Amino acid sequence: MRKLPLSLTINGETHELLAEPHHPLLEVLRTQLGLIGTKENCLEGECGVCTVLLDGMAVNSCLLLAAQCQGRRIVTIEGLGGPETLHPLQETFVEHGAVQCGYCIPGMILAAKAYLDQNPEPTEGEIREALSGNLCRCTGYQKILDAVLAAAGVLAPMR
Amino acid sequence: MSFEYHEPPSVSEAVALAARFGSEARFLAGGTDLIVQINRGKLAPRHVVSLHRVPGLDTIAVDGHVTLGALVTHRALERSPHFQGRYRGLVEGAQVVGGHQVRNVGTVGGNIVNASPAADVVPVLLALDAAVTCLGPEGERTLPLEEFLVGPGQTQRRPEELLTTVRFPLLGPNSATAFLKAGRRKAMEISVVCVAARMTLDAGLERCREARIALGAVAPTTLRARAAEHVLEGEVPRAELLRRAGALAARACQPISDVRASSQFRRLLVETLVPRVLARCLERIREEGR
Amino acid sequence: MAPELRVVGKPLPRVDAYGKVTGKTVYAADFTLPGMLFGKVLRGTEPHARIVRIDARRALTLPGVRAVISAADVADVRYGGALKDETVFAREKVRYVGQPVAAVAAATSEAAEAALAAIDVVYDPLPAVFDVEGALAPGAPLVHEAWETYSAIPILYREGNICNRARILAGDVERGLAEADRVFEHRFTTRMVHQGYTEPRAAVAAWDSAGQVTVWSNTQLPFEVQNTLAEILQLPPSRIRILVPGIGGGFGGKLRVGVEHFAALLARKTGRPVRVITTSEEELTAAYPRQGTIVELKTGVTRDGRLTGKQGRIFFDTGAFAGSGPGVASVATLILAGPYCIPNLHLEGYAVYTNKTNCGSFRAPSGPQANFAVESQMDIIADALGMDPLDLRLRNIVREGDEGPTGQLLTGVGLEECLRRAADAIGWNDRRPGPSRGKGIACGWWTTTGGSSGVYVKINPDGTVALNTGAAEIGTGALTGAAQVLAEQLSVELSDINLVSADTYSTPFDFGAQGSRTAFSVGNACRAAAADLRRQLFALASRQLGVEPDALELRERHVVAGGKRVSLADLSRLSQQSGGGLIAHGTFIAPPTPYDTKRVEAHVYPAFHSPSFHAHAVDLAVDPETGEVTLHRYVVAQDVGFALNPTYVEGQIEGGVAQGVGQALSEEIVYENGRVVNPNLTDYKMPTTLDLPRIESILVQHPSAVGPYGAKGVGEPPNIEPPAAVANAVAAAIGVRITSLPITAEKIVMALRKETP
Repeated sequence: MRKLPLSLTINGETHELLAEPHHPLLEVLRTQLGLIGTKENCLEGECGVCTVLLDGMAVNSCLLLAAQCQGRRIVTIEGLGGPETLHPLQETFVEHGAVQCGYCIPGMILAAKAYLDQNPEPTEGEIREALSGNLCRCTGYQKILDAVLAAAGVLAPMR
Repeated sequence: MSFEYHEPPSVSEAVALAARFGSEARFLAGGTDLIVQINRGKLAPRHVVSLHRVPGLDTIAVDGHVTLGALVTHRALERSPHFQGRYRGLVEGAQVVGGHQVRNVGTVGGNIVNASPAADVVPVLLALDAAVTCLGPEGERTLPLEEFLVGPGQTQRRPEELLTTVRFPLLGPNSATAFLKAGRRKAMEISVVCVAARMTLDAGLERCREARIALGAVAPTTLRARAAEHVLEGEVPRAELLRRAGALAARACQPISDVRASSQFRRLLVETLVPRVLARCLERIREEGR
Repeated sequence: MAPELRVVGKPLPRVDAYGKVTGKTVYAADFTLPGMLFGKVLRGTEPHARIVRIDARRALTLPGVRAVISAADVADVRYGGALKDETVFAREKVRYVGQPVAAVAAATSEAAEAALAAIDVVYDPLPAVFDVEGALAPGAPLVHEAWETYSAIPILYREGNICNRARILAGDVERGLAEADRVFEHRFTTRMVHQGYTEPRAAVAAWDSAGQVTVWSNTQLPFEVQNTLAEILQLPPSRIRILVPGIGGGFGGKLRVGVEHFAALLARKTGRPVRVITTSEEELTAAYPRQGTIVELKTGVTRDGRLTGKQGRIFFDTGAFAGSGPGVASVATLILAGPYCIPNLHLEGYAVYTNKTNCGSFRAPSGPQANFAVESQMDIIADALGMDPLDLRLRNIVREGDEGPTGQLLTGVGLEECLRRAADAIGWNDRRPGPSRGKGIACGWWTTTGGSSGVYVKINPDGTVALNTGAAEIGTGALTGAAQVLAEQLSVELSDINLVSADTYSTPFDFGAQGSRTAFSVGNACRAAAADLRRQLFALASRQLGVEPDALELRERHVVAGGKRVSLADLSRLSQQSGGGLIAHGTFIAPPTPYDTKRVEAHVYPAFHSPSFHAHAVDLAVDPETGEVTLHRYVVAQDVGFALNPTYVEGQIEGGVAQGVGQALSEEIVYENGRVVNPNLTDYKMPTTLDLPRIESILVQHPSAVGPYGAKGVGEPPNIEPPAAVANAVAAAIGVRITSLPITAEKIVMALRKETP
């Protein structure tokens, strides 16, 4: 099948590229654009490691065709902050020991960001619900929840 | 596994593409099911017709009826202010579909057209007497959701037809809906069994005027438990009667045994969950009445 | 008085945290090279069958396909751990659904996929065995007809489909059971479960023109993979370089060669770099999961609750190849004994071949299965005797100076404290706080695996420190713990330590990230290196400051003596000008743990080194009509010896419990007639955020005499007790005992209905 010319806005930057029509956004991010912070695992929407933000919403980039993303704003973990300017979620994940192997963490942080952007003062129960589509096998989630709660505390006064 | 990708800008052009490619085409809504099916090799469409540029399919309209565009997402259902009261069952069904990532893009139309017997929103829609409207080259046709569903993955939709809306009547006073599901985990579950109910009581909040009970994952399609509904109507819905409805509902279903549960356990769950979901409706009606 | 600790024991952020939260850490699955091809593995579709023909001609004509290889293309070598029974590809016959039959390399992963579909394989099915009972039945088909010809470590006991039978024989079990007032016999079963790491197994291999291969792999054991590849590729190990980038979890599932050999063979054949990554389906049908088991226990006890003897057998369904089976069956016997003083023991662990996937090691291999049986039975016994289950345990547990089941002397035993504190925290005096609500407790012990570790430590001219270790950081934070030890010893900060790890060319040997040993062993190697560096520093500083070396000490990145001081940076520069720089090689090997050799047979793991002790307590509710279990609270009291970094020790406990709760309630790889019927994450059900309560950790610290600052291994233990603790709490809640894992809602409802017809 012929490739599709796409214009994708990722982390505020516009990329012109050719993509296979059946390629999910995940594939384009990782293979064509070298944005490997978005991780790959089950490819069926069951694990959440490939989570990115699409117009501010958390989505599984493994189930979203790149072609569907034209004209929409995509944010990956690379768009959230670098070592010099960490996002409060990145800071609290470090401080609270929320990171172990780290493979689920980019998706986890983005899912948490999408939620906090809409719900600045969440309870622990609400955060559990918001992150229930992101599997973590290392942490038992506890320190992740602590980190998200702490980040909410940091972010709330900034609004 | 590749396909040609189309992005029609209107309903009519979407239908025209479908008419041109027939069974070689698939409409793409949220993709949370379609893409998995394609990846697993269960489906191999030559043409994928994405609906995301088609305007007007993602609206929730409430006038004499409630009309859901096919592209209304589960998240939109969850958060719609219209559904926090009598239609609460819809929210309950929508909010247990996958995680946020899936609900943000997965649509009502997709949930219906995929025709999974375990779909979570479908039983609630059945309990609401929903009808679906399909648009084809010959025009529109509307048919009851119950008739629309034919078997696992099968519906009355013709390949060239697009499901555009789902519609159900407004609920009058003294009515409520509820939804319950059983699975092995508390999230990210495909229902082992799910049940939805709607109940309307008389003005004195004593007798059941109308009942609807729908069951998921216990038959080739989502199923109405009519005998259970009839036993309630005109009667005072005491606990004993709700249990009888549960037993009748369990008798109505024909579950299979699979890796998720045995047919016997599914039947038992129906027997347990139907009285509970009915009781929840009653509670809601009485709360509203206060 | 010991000096106050500055770095160890502190909850400092891990050294690799920033790369991970920013998405910068490169994992093996992220790794690419220019010109790289994509490799995929064709897997057998029959549980047991003769391969009549493999025809790849059509596949080779497809666009983008560069190579197809199968058994005919590789040396006829059998490799493995204690028992060498594995081959790269099935030769002559397949022994499980999922066994590699061929592999392809192509320009894209889709082209590789298409090539797999175009390879024709013709099978002639053979009778198969699908479970332990079938495999041990008289006249059962042999999974390996030629088992006697395979090479193995000599101590194994093997016979037909049994690839090891390990034993502990202590006292006289007949007499022990005869002395008992009551004898309890029970049978328990557990299912195969997967480690569930979020990063699939992945490897990229590239050959250089000198005939050396470099493999970037997410293995936990780079040095073992190097040796295995040497056997497979028929090359000296020095020709094989294994590098470990980031690893997205291992839990024992990434110990043995997984996809590295396919990548290396395809890369050799094509002359191009090749990457191979597993799919979820491959993970759940052809990885190294935890063995399903059958456990039979016969336990004698006096009226007042003293255990007099125990006869026990545990059968591991190890799949079509031995994998970790022979060793796991050995370890299991120590768990069957329990952390209890029982004078008379006859315990057996069997590893049994079946036509299923090759099982391996999963965090505390054998621990959860055997502990589930032992600790479930303890509660059954307590109920039968009318005793509190906590009291029954306290009456029988091992204490300081007691003997282990094989005669080892137990020291640093914090078990009683663990039990009492876990019970207190959960509110044990109110065991049934409401209808269908109950609390359960379970305890256990575990080892800190030995094996040697080496580190190179270098002091840089800016005063920072390079720690070069052969161990891989699989996520536990173990290397942060080791780095804390090093920082403490050298008077620097944790942020001063630069870590280089897991490159078989340049890093010193390490036995690998397994067996709860990394922080323990690498930490000790760091201590040794620091001691050496201190000598070097003091020798230089002594001349510089005009002070005798024994008057010097390290403080805040300086060597000091009274008012005189010189910085590590200055000393490093001085050494570079005069003596080649400051560098030390630190090594550690755990001292052997003496045991009574007469008590064991065919035993690969006869004693637990620096053993840890632990107790778990859970408070849960059961919906008796739907069988749904809801955990309200979960408490772990674990004797960690000394917590090098409390944050990550807690993290190990929380994560281990989560995995254990998965095995307890929801996870199982389900086989039907030799085929996995849930090979995806839709139906392989790992706990989500909503399935777990907060997990409360109590760090009990009875120091190990050997570990750094008294630390014991902490990674595996928290995975052991959850199934038993949950089973006991379910029994307390609803009065029904589930003896098979997972404890599904369906089992609960069916058991309750049987109980109350």
